[in-house]
Amino acid sequence: MATTTATITLASSDIAESAISLSNTATLTKAGTTTGLDQTSGISRRTLTATDTVKLIDLDHYQGQTLTENKAAKVYIKNTGTSTANYVKVSIQNGAGAGEEIGQLYGGDWMFFPYAAVWTSAAHTNNHDIDVTPSHADSVTLEYIVIYE
Amino acid sequence: MATTTATITLSSADLLGDNLSLSSTTTLYDAGTTTGLTQYEMSRVTVPSSDTNSILIDSTAASVNKAARVYVANKNTDEVHYVVISINGAELGRLYSGDWMFIPWSQTDAAADLEVYCPAALSTTCDVEYALFHQGKTFTAA
Repeated sequence: MATTTATITLASSDIAESAISLSNTATLTKAGTTTGLDQTSGISRRTLTATDTVKLIDLDHYQGQTLTENKAAKVYIKNTGTSTANYVKVSIQNGAGAGEEIGQLYGGDWMFFPYAAVWTSAAHTNNHDIDVTPSHADSVTLEYIVIYE
Repeated sequence: MATTTATITLSSADLLGDNLSLSSTTTLYDAGTTTGLTQYEMSRVTVPSSDTNSILIDSTAASVNKAARVYVANKNTDEVHYVVISINGAELGRLYSGDWMFIPWSQTDAAADLEVYCPAALSTTCDVEYALFHQGKTFTAA
């Protein structure tokens, strides 16, 4: 059993009259248990140089690696760039096979979220793949990791 | 202009063959600028037991394709308890007790709400904390 923790700290000294400081640590466990998640994609990097939509996390690639759907998987994605003007749109395919935009990662931004990873077919039709679309053709590199069971 | 930062630290001594130690800090800016976000909301709610999505945070026209950031945490303590998080019906995943998430949120249209449910099979309610940092919201007349 592995022990993996994810800590977030949100801090601001001037967004309000009083400073904000919020910190939370989660120990990443398998669904409904206290046993740690023990599978991972490892830290990966992907560089994009066009505005085409590409699959960052293609669930077909995980079918032999026991990424079980509707469990406690987690995804971390970071835009390693520095541009505050260009972004990468991150979407998740919905049950109808269309992309539902989650949000836009500008240079330096990161996101961390639970991942249902619903896999339906090898034809991708309704898989909950994670797609990314750069706003600009300038080279941008994403760093990402999937931690799962 | 305010300066708000979000830092993540991912750590494990035994998930990989070598130590995993990843840390990243981002400053929360208005979209496409280096001007810090100046508006926020923080709340704690008890989500009723139900298999139907409810709106946790309502998408607002003033924030369409802006730079909102959302933090959500499941504050229950029983490891079996979870809430399901979706955007406009597209399920992101399950937040188990103690888990948190942090995402940029585009609010692409009025239907792109951040949704939650606490499954009926758990026969309990789920305490959820959330924070929204944003560029603005559309107010409706009383």
